[in-house]
Parts: sequence; structure tokens; C-alpha cells
Amino acid sequence: MSATTATRSALSQTSVWVSTLARLILAGVLLAAGILKAVDPAGSVAAVRAYELVSSPLATPIGWGLPFLEIGLGLLLLVGLHTRAAAIVSAFLLVTLLAAVISVAARGLSIDCGCFGGGGPVASGETRYTSEIVRDIGLLLLSAWLAWRPRTRFSLDRWDGEHLG
Amino acid sequence: MSAGSRRAQELARQQALAAAKRHRERRIGVVAALVVLVLLVGGGIGFQAWRTRRAPDAVPTSGAASLAPVAITDGKPIVLGQADAPVKLALYEDFHCPHCAEFEEAYGSVLTAARESGKAEIELYPMSFIDAGSESAANAMACAAEAGFGASYYEGLFANATLRWSDGQLIALADQVAPGDTERFNSCVRSRANAGWAASIDAAADANGVSSTPTLFLDGARLDLANLTPEALQTKIDEAATT
Repeated sequence: MSATTATRSALSQTSVWVSTLARLILAGVLLAAGILKAVDPAGSVAAVRAYELVSSPLATPIGWGLPFLEIGLGLLLLVGLHTRAAAIVSAFLLVTLLAAVISVAARGLSIDCGCFGGGGPVASGETRYTSEIVRDIGLLLLSAWLAWRPRTRFSLDRWDGEHLG
Repeated sequence: MSAGSRRAQELARQQALAAAKRHRERRIGVVAALVVLVLLVGGGIGFQAWRTRRAPDAVPTSGAASLAPVAITDGKPIVLGQADAPVKLALYEDFHCPHCAEFEEAYGSVLTAARESGKAEIELYPMSFIDAGSESAANAMACAAEAGFGASYYEGLFANATLRWSDGQLIALADQVAPGDTERFNSCVRSRANAGWAASIDAAADANGVSSTPTLFLDGARLDLANLTPEALQTKIDEAATT
């Protein structure tokens, strides 16, 4: 084995572990966000409404359905099934939520993002848009990495001709 | 054709077949995952529709005896408890605000005990800014107070905070907490008799500088709920009652 092949192999091992960590963090965050919202249906509809982005009848299916989409994606990522597709869908979801929070901040509304339950209007000094945006960007980077390098350990995905164990 | 090239052809054919099989399996896997995801989201929406539209659950009443009817005056809160109580607690809540339901779960027993022991009277401002259910619940809360079962109705509203509060649900809750003749209450709910009062409460809250719920004032001083515990609230009420 030449030196470059050895380095390349060590690098790819590192990337597999980074991807595994990214997958499990994303799974945990999505499951927590989904479950905390799903227990409070009226609250999550109110949280959607507080963004003032969708018309009133649309807020209900979004408020009720979005938590279950998060739970579904979280479960797929937890077991590592269709990792790349789940990572891509998560990235799109995060971009949407990020845009929503930025738009709220830009319009000067005072709300809690309701990302992990709760949500709705808050006093004007109690908004946390910066930390919400930073957190979403971090998660977006994780899902982008995972879409780019979807091979992970402890996963149900099978990669042709290769067994990662 | 030589034997060797025939073997190579056969091998290539088998490899192509195997690749097609893998491709098919992967496509079935993707479709299956999509179907499960769609069913999960659809089922979740259906589940939440059921949870918000069902009849209210029975309420574990705190033994709240039937109170005297409470008068409803525009811009003035619903007063629960003895008017000569030494401590005044002004409570601003929206029946659909999630933090209010959490607050009620954590602090409800402290507030109820303070009210029932005569230490504190509770001035309730039921605001309606979250959705249509907030407003119909605020109206019904006033109807219940007028009918004399405001305290237990209040507990019932928060115990069933996931409901959307249609007229039917609000009336069914009254049947749960105050069984008997509720015909006057029912028509009060259906006709939105206290809708004007509910709007005046929102205006009063605004005038009092309250822009978020839950908000609690003890003898006029706003409490920092983020750094409060039920035990600390208990202590504050006891201290205020003895001074």
C-alpha cells in the first residue's frame, strides 16, 4: 500500500465518523423538535400563525403536520435509512425555517421561533433570533455534509460492494 | 465464437441482471420510505384533528366549592376568591397559550390553595390574542363566572388546553365541571354574550403594559416568572399575606 492510499483511507475513515456524528445529532434534534411540538397541537398552530407568513387555514395543517415530518426524518436518520435523501430533505426544511426566522426578524415581529414547542409572540426584548439563526445554520451545515458524504457507521443503508460494519 | 468470449458474455449478462435487481430494490425502498413518511404526516394531522375536536376530559376538581356568581364589568377582571383577601394576584393568560398551560400545571395548585384559604383573591384577565378558540374560551370563562362555577371551569379549560374550543366543547366542559341546569350558560356561550368584555380585557391588558402571557402581578408588582418556582411563589404569597 502506498503512502497516499493509506492517507486517503484514513481520511475516508474520518469522514465516515464525522458523517455518523452529523447523522445522529440531526436525528436527535429533529426527533426532539418534532415530539415537543406534536404534544401541543394548538400551540404549534399558534406558533406557525405568529410568523404571519401563511394564510390562516394553511397554518393548521402545517402546525399539525410539520412535527410529524420532523419525527419521520429523525427516525430515518436515527436508523440510517436513505441517509442521503433524508439529509437533503432536512436541508430543504432547514433552509425554509431559516428563511422564515430571518423574515420575522427583518419585519420586526417579536416571536419565539417555536422550534422546540412553545412559540408565539414574546415581549420585544425577549427575542432570540441570532441564536436561532446560528443554530439553524449549524444544522444546515451538518445536513449538507451528510448529503455530500452519506456513508456512516451503524446504518441500515447498504453501499454497493462495500461493507462498513 | 470461442468458449472464452461466451463465458465473458454470460458474466456480463449476469452482472447487468444483478445491477438491475439492485436498482429495482433501491427504488422500491425509496418509494416505501416516501409512502411511510406521507402516511406518518397524514396520520399525524388526522391524530391532531381528533385531539383538538374531541369532547373535553373530566377534570380532577380541587374540591372547589360552588362559588357565588361573579359580576362581569367591561375592562375589569374576573375576581375569584374572597374580595377581602389580603393579597391580590392579577393573572393575565390566554387559554390557548402553551406557556400558560405549563404555568397552570406548575403553579395552579399554589394559586388555588391561596384562593381557597382566603389569603389571596385572583383577578383573572383572560386575553384572546392567539386564535379564535382563545376568544370563545375567554367569553365562556366569563359566562361560567357569572353562573358561579368560574374556578372549576378555569381549571377545566387548562386541563383540556389542546381542544380548539368550539361552542359544543365549551358546553360539554360545563357539563363536566358543573353538572346541572346550564341552559343560561349555554346560551351565553352561543350568543358570545361577553365578547365585548373579552375585547375590553385585551385593551385593559394593553393599558396595564402586559404584552405577553402568562403575566402575574402580586399586589401590583410584576413577578419574574422565568426565575420563579412554585415554592418561591408560595413564600411570596405567605409573606404578603402577613404584612
